[in-house]
Amino acid sequence: MNIIGQSTPRLDAISKVTGEAKFPGDLNLPNQAYMKILFAARPHAIVRRIDTSKAEALPGVIAVFTAKDVPVNEYGLIMPDQPVLCGPGSSKPYTDHVRWVGDQVALVVAETEEIAAKGRNLIEVDYEGLPLVTDPQNAMQADAPVLHPDRGSNIFCHYRIRKGDVDAAFADSDVIVEGEYRTPAQEHAYLQPEAGLGYIDEQGRVAVQVAGQWTHEDQEQIAHALGLPLEQVRVIYPAIGGAFGGREDMSVQIVLALAVWRLNQRGINRPVKIIWSREESIVGHHKRHPYILKAKWGAKKDGKLVAAQVEVIADGGGYAYTSTKVLGNATLMCTGPYEIPNVKVDSYAVYTNNAVTGAFRGFGGPQGAFEAETQMNRLAEILEIDPIEIRRRNLLTEGSLLSVGTPLPKGVSLPQVVDRLKVESSRLKDNLRSFARLKAGSSTANPSASSVQALQPHIKRGIGYGAAYKNVGFSFGAPEQSTAIVELFGAAEIERAIVHHAGADVGQGTHTIMAQIAAETLGIPLARVQMIVSDTAVTGNSGSASASRLTFMAGNSIKGACEQALEKWRSEERPVSVTFQYRPPRTTPLDPQTGKSEPNFAYGYVAQAVTVEVDTETGHVRILDVISVDDVGKAINPQQVQGQIEGAVVQAAGYAVLENFVQKDGRVLTDKFSNYLIPTVLDVPERVQSVILEYPDPIGPYGARGMAEMPYLPFAPAVIAAVHDAIGVWFHEFPLTPERVLRGLGKL
Amino acid sequence: MSLNAHPELPEFDYIRPASLMDASRFLAQHAGEARPMLGGTDIFVRMRDGMWHDQYLVDVKNLDGTDKLHFDPQAGLILGAGVNMNRVMVSPEVQTRYPLLADACRSVASYQLRTRATIVGNICNASPAGDTIGACLVLGGVLDVHGVNGYREIPLAGFFLGPGKTILQPGDIVTAIRFPLPPQGNTGVYLKLGRNTWSDLSIVGVTVYGYPDASAASGYRFRIALASVAPVPLIPRDAEAYLSQNPIGRETIRAAANLAAESCSPIDDVRGSAKYRKAMVKNLTRKGLEKVWESVNRKA
Repeated sequence: MNIIGQSTPRLDAISKVTGEAKFPGDLNLPNQAYMKILFAARPHAIVRRIDTSKAEALPGVIAVFTAKDVPVNEYGLIMPDQPVLCGPGSSKPYTDHVRWVGDQVALVVAETEEIAAKGRNLIEVDYEGLPLVTDPQNAMQADAPVLHPDRGSNIFCHYRIRKGDVDAAFADSDVIVEGEYRTPAQEHAYLQPEAGLGYIDEQGRVAVQVAGQWTHEDQEQIAHALGLPLEQVRVIYPAIGGAFGGREDMSVQIVLALAVWRLNQRGINRPVKIIWSREESIVGHHKRHPYILKAKWGAKKDGKLVAAQVEVIADGGGYAYTSTKVLGNATLMCTGPYEIPNVKVDSYAVYTNNAVTGAFRGFGGPQGAFEAETQMNRLAEILEIDPIEIRRRNLLTEGSLLSVGTPLPKGVSLPQVVDRLKVESSRLKDNLRSFARLKAGSSTANPSASSVQALQPHIKRGIGYGAAYKNVGFSFGAPEQSTAIVELFGAAEIERAIVHHAGADVGQGTHTIMAQIAAETLGIPLARVQMIVSDTAVTGNSGSASASRLTFMAGNSIKGACEQALEKWRSEERPVSVTFQYRPPRTTPLDPQTGKSEPNFAYGYVAQAVTVEVDTETGHVRILDVISVDDVGKAINPQQVQGQIEGAVVQAAGYAVLENFVQKDGRVLTDKFSNYLIPTVLDVPERVQSVILEYPDPIGPYGARGMAEMPYLPFAPAVIAAVHDAIGVWFHEFPLTPERVLRGLGKL
Repeated sequence: MSLNAHPELPEFDYIRPASLMDASRFLAQHAGEARPMLGGTDIFVRMRDGMWHDQYLVDVKNLDGTDKLHFDPQAGLILGAGVNMNRVMVSPEVQTRYPLLADACRSVASYQLRTRATIVGNICNASPAGDTIGACLVLGGVLDVHGVNGYREIPLAGFFLGPGKTILQPGDIVTAIRFPLPPQGNTGVYLKLGRNTWSDLSIVGVTVYGYPDASAASGYRFRIALASVAPVPLIPRDAEAYLSQNPIGRETIRAAANLAAESCSPIDDVRGSAKYRKAMVKNLTRKGLEKVWESVNRKA
């Protein structure tokens, strides 16, 4: 191997640094018009009447579109429960209902952005208010107002796991730990707000250039809503400024396509451009699900787990988005990376009038891990067993049975990961001990300048641990495949290889990784590989940039295509063109009664140690050291892997202590970066050590596993445990805002 | 929530008057639709968010000497309205004689913002959270105000009426803030509590200033100003009086910090609850007083 395992520079590095790379908002076409969206800005209502006449009369307004202009007024990644535009005039019932503040009601296309905004403000809408449902537990009650009247209940998903006999096991337990945990919503906060350009392309297709995570799914969603055949719709991704799951669902895709298509029908062939403001972005796309998790775990004196019972409730917001899949993950991961003989899980996804919720790095894993790892850390405290040791006694290993009654796929490296964490984190423990001696005055060592402040009595330090596993690729029977096209040109040797793939490079560097896999497999220099990417007209379906799956899935498809192409090349075929579809081992859905299933075909494994400093006068928590041990199977590009680990840690640090998404009565109070704070460079952990392990996945390309989400999972519970170690208080809810910490200390 | 989708700056006329008198007259003639502008760091955000709808922004920077920073060994410091915060921070006179002003400026937003933002603008914006206002209050700042009838002086202490509200009349332009010579042996601190390490608006800001004063029973004078805990930047008079009347020590400081906390009337918002703010006023005032007391003692 000479290309894989190298930190080759990103293909887009120079264009990103020079500003040459074009993001959706940078794209312009001659004669383009501009679009603005009228959002409902109320969480629950029926649209009784829309009067667009004043907007249409405004000079410079080209067109106004409402629900009646949408041929099939529904969409949704998992189930089509959301109107494209809310309002009267659709054939589908209840599409005149508004269920969250970000519901879209009308589109205004105009000569300029300013005129479009003015036109939008002239649209008159009569709403009939409906009672609000903002508490997911209330939403589950039989007498709660139902958001989707055609469904009869706000509970739109319920999974069960029944393994063994939890009641008998609890009776047989030496110790039982119970807790009710709550996790917060989180905003993706990608640098690039939603934007796009729609037009009719040279072959008469409705084309949109946007930032998304799955070109071919966007294409399907657009085609469905417009009632068009797939091939009449084209989706292209230019450079994408971050995604983190926040671009998995539709934002501007369908409405852009709708606008150019309807204009074209009126004889107006003009491109249409839209850029969302930051406020529109924060209000207009989904968030990470807030969860309520009620757990009861039983163990023997030696720390061996015997039973876990968990009730999981996910606040789904107004529409399903990917909630059912996110919930599946949480259902599996709420019992942690542990083999537990008796498990009972009931999990629910529930409609409310809060912000819609869906995919976000970790995809239900972080919520499950927060409860599972905190349960484990509390158990370690009660039993007075070292937190790493108690994990070691319960970890899933090769052949262990999951809660869903089947073993993990081969290549389980959790014991190695946790053992390595033990070794690496010993210096953090030593540091804490010497700090404690210094503080107690029993050391004569000179404190460093930075620790003088920390020697004050109100500054406390502590350490905490967490471990996790996370699936790679789609779970629970969801159709999973990835298709690549490879072409080879040359005579005596391969002079040029063209790789077509649609996997979204959302900033994680996927195109570079794919080029490395192609070059390695073909045995040619990287410079001879040309990438044609993310355009439904010329690439096969790679599936989404999600579930830590692209390196594994698109990587396998490109590796497979290259291998076949090479065979043809060797049999003197010139030029060569190969289309290859990779299909992983199949997974199966949860059995409705027992949950029995083969949930996933691959996993990545992680364990972390975190040290924190707590100011007990202000409540501020500062994260000092992070050690993240990740089995990535094979680091195709070690620098990108390290970047993903550090990025996940920083994002998880925001989730754990800083990012406070505030909603009141279904309205978002933190719709700006001045009141929704994400970590700045001064707020990130002081030191992050990425320990990259390479225990190959038996079916991953060159042994690679997915890895982009895994380091996110154990972080928040590790911080919670470190804070407990520092101040002796367990928090069952986060973010650990200064105020929450002081309240926990009984000082408020 | 308005969800003013893609808020953008509305159209307005930018007015660059030739003199202060022209500016005052224009502002008076267009009362309610014109606003004096310095760095614009607050104005543009409010206009963008649709909170302000002024037709005219009257640029009063650089008019008749409003851009000067001048220290006079007899009269003290004059900061012209147009002097940006970064200039204040690097001024040798400020650094040696009014370091508290430099500290307060340093706590504001980012370097980029501070190349536009001004102390006078911070004052006229009259936000209870204004980070430099506390320093200006405890240092005894006096405003030079130019109106349609010429100049007058307004002591800062009586300037604020409520959030965003001051005693300025249409046509009034604050041209400078003046500070008397600082008393011997003074020390000041600004303790700002944000949600993150840097650049957040303050949840609570506490300015403490102290110096030896033979006319006080305790032999010392302490001045305190509190940000983000009342409708206006707040001076806890009871706490200040207590410190002038009682022998300074740990217990007096503790009691004064309690008085400071009792004097404020904060609100709940997304940055913090009223309860948390009160508790932080107590902790930070105590901490600030201890620091200042220690330093004043060291100098004495």
